[in-house]
Amino acid sequence: MTWFWHGHWATSYQKVDDALPMYLQNQSLRRNALGNFAQMSREMVNDAALIFWLDGQTNTVKAPNENLSRELMELFTLGVNRYSEDDVKETAKALTGYKVDKSSGQVNYYPKQHFTGSIKVLGTQGSFDASSLSDFLVARNDSALFITERIWYRFISSMNPLTDTSLTASFASRDIAALVKAIGKHSALDNPENSMVKSPIDWFISASRALSITPSKFSNPNNIRNYLNLLGQLPFFPPNVGGWPADQAWLSTSSAQYRIQFATQLVKEADLSPISSLAPKARIDGLADWLGVVEWSSRTKMALTGAINDPARLALLALCSPEYVVSA
Amino acid sequence: MDTITRRQFLKATGAGALGAAAMSLSIEEIANAAITRPLPLGTPILVVVTLYGGNDGLNTVVPVNDPIYQSLRPGIAYKPEDVLPLGENLYLNGSMSGMHSLWNKNQVAIVRGVGYPNSDRSHFSSMAIWQSAIIGAAKTGWLGRWVESQPEDPFLAISLGSILPPLLAGSKRSGSVLPLGGLKVPNGSLASDCIKLAIESRSDNLLQAMAAKTMRNLFTVSADITPILRSPAPAAPDLPTAIGGNAGGDTNLSQQLDIVAKLVAAGAPTRVWSVSLGGFDTHADEKGSQAILLGVVSQGISKFMSQMRATNRAKDVVVLVYSEFGRRVRGNASDGTDHGTSGPVFLLGERVKGGFYGEQPSLNNLKDDDLAVTTDFRDIYASVLEKVLSTPAEKILGNWRGRTPLFN
Repeated sequence: MTWFWHGHWATSYQKVDDALPMYLQNQSLRRNALGNFAQMSREMVNDAALIFWLDGQTNTVKAPNENLSRELMELFTLGVNRYSEDDVKETAKALTGYKVDKSSGQVNYYPKQHFTGSIKVLGTQGSFDASSLSDFLVARNDSALFITERIWYRFISSMNPLTDTSLTASFASRDIAALVKAIGKHSALDNPENSMVKSPIDWFISASRALSITPSKFSNPNNIRNYLNLLGQLPFFPPNVGGWPADQAWLSTSSAQYRIQFATQLVKEADLSPISSLAPKARIDGLADWLGVVEWSSRTKMALTGAINDPARLALLALCSPEYVVSA
Repeated sequence: MDTITRRQFLKATGAGALGAAAMSLSIEEIANAAITRPLPLGTPILVVVTLYGGNDGLNTVVPVNDPIYQSLRPGIAYKPEDVLPLGENLYLNGSMSGMHSLWNKNQVAIVRGVGYPNSDRSHFSSMAIWQSAIIGAAKTGWLGRWVESQPEDPFLAISLGSILPPLLAGSKRSGSVLPLGGLKVPNGSLASDCIKLAIESRSDNLLQAMAAKTMRNLFTVSADITPILRSPAPAAPDLPTAIGGNAGGDTNLSQQLDIVAKLVAAGAPTRVWSVSLGGFDTHADEKGSQAILLGVVSQGISKFMSQMRATNRAKDVVVLVYSEFGRRVRGNASDGTDHGTSGPVFLLGERVKGGFYGEQPSLNNLKDDDLAVTTDFRDIYASVLEKVLSTPAEKILGNWRGRTPLFN
């Protein structure tokens, strides 16, 4: 779930350009990954990396910068079009006066640069700072709906959006674990149409687990970084504040190419004994179990059959097969 | 989440019936299909340049003499001596000298005040609208739908970079993707093994079928393109040696355009190319960074046009440059601008009738501090579809009536 939240509060080292704030943000996301969303959101609106990433440090009472206020509502708490343009302008005022000290990773509050008057947000008049604004937004029904939609989008289907809004009930107290549990038990998981393309990270991590590879012990760790970059998904470098794309975006001639190359490297480092210890005849079914594939198509069976005596080639082909690349 | 894997659910529901294998392909069969049929000369080619982040239109096509412009943008406004005259009291950003000389040759159309009703100020929603040409939920791009309206051919529309932009996404077929380094495919027995995985299986779901198809396209496209990529890019003989801006040093956009130039010159049967440049979300310290980016755009495109003149495709190529929105008229305290509404769209090429189109949004008549939209972007798309891609706009845009008469 930390990975999910990294894509949600997507902050890139590209602009932050300092490891400490990125590390502190990651610690916060780890702490709260299955905790309470109100707490997580409060920590994020006071998070140095996020504030710097969205120009919050230059947001002053004189001329508010709307970058953070817009994304806070659009991408982090409510979802697009669940607020007005006036709400963006008003909430920007509540987020004035926070300055980032990147070297310490801390955020300092400058009362003189903070707008102290009353603002009207989503029909409610009041005086807000970053934390109370976060609490106010997270408490709204739209926030429960939005977070449910996002978890659905990443774990159930990006193509078939959430329709069963009753799931939001499990998020009434903003308990992330309860929501994940409810989504995990949802009948939509029975529907084979709800398949998902493994993103490069999903693919790499699941392959590493199956192949007993410890990424930090990889013979050339730069290779991992290089291939994840070529595949378009380097952790701590999301392409923009909306996080990484899904599904079809990961299916291109380019990703097919780099997946083959990356898989070639991975199988060299792999423990292939679960496959090589099987009799050749049993290897194709064994691979399906090993990699968590329900059933090979006749196409992939044919491709695998040709490599039945070569466990490394078998593993490589299986990792690049449509059945593995797409989690059915 | 060990207890709820997809696999256990799917085993329980019995999904995944066995299907018969489709036809068997070899590398040679696939490779022979492509460059043996070059694009006939005279066939128009569209190059789409997407500027990600929301380019500040007012500092691109600059109303430098407008006192409201000067008063609303302290710290960001240009001075008259910094900008290049276009006529009608408008001026081009001073870093865009390459495009300015094309303007003087009547090969640049600038459509002013382009957007759509009720501008969405979200990067993602607005870019989705521009790339899909659909206001509301969309799963396909306007050029992806165009790809699907044509006979199947993985060369038809190609995006440079490693991720497919929504622009080229279709519901069953999409454009291809070409990474900057070109495609390096396996050879020998690994190649023949991988090609077996490229056969579509009847049991594939939609995404699995697409995964198989991209594997197939990898071998089709690469076998033909790789030798071309090794050849040098076409020369740009008529390009002035000093063209202003940040000369020297490759930029990503110019690398992308260099590859497009090589492939167009080689006769690749590609009608649509997609390239892009990011970084236009200038909430802070805008002036210098936007000027650098616009210099990259101008320099890259003017070099590309010059390369085209060195081939016999100059008359065929049309370049379209757009961004997801313009920016707020009033600057913010960080010497930047926040998200706004309309902005200019550029079209370049010998087929283009140079000059201004659409009304310049008046600074006297702002709506909620933002510029009015005077031209709908779908008018431009409709004309591009009809005049460049020779496709009835209705097929792609539905019953869209507006047109912009941009072409000779």
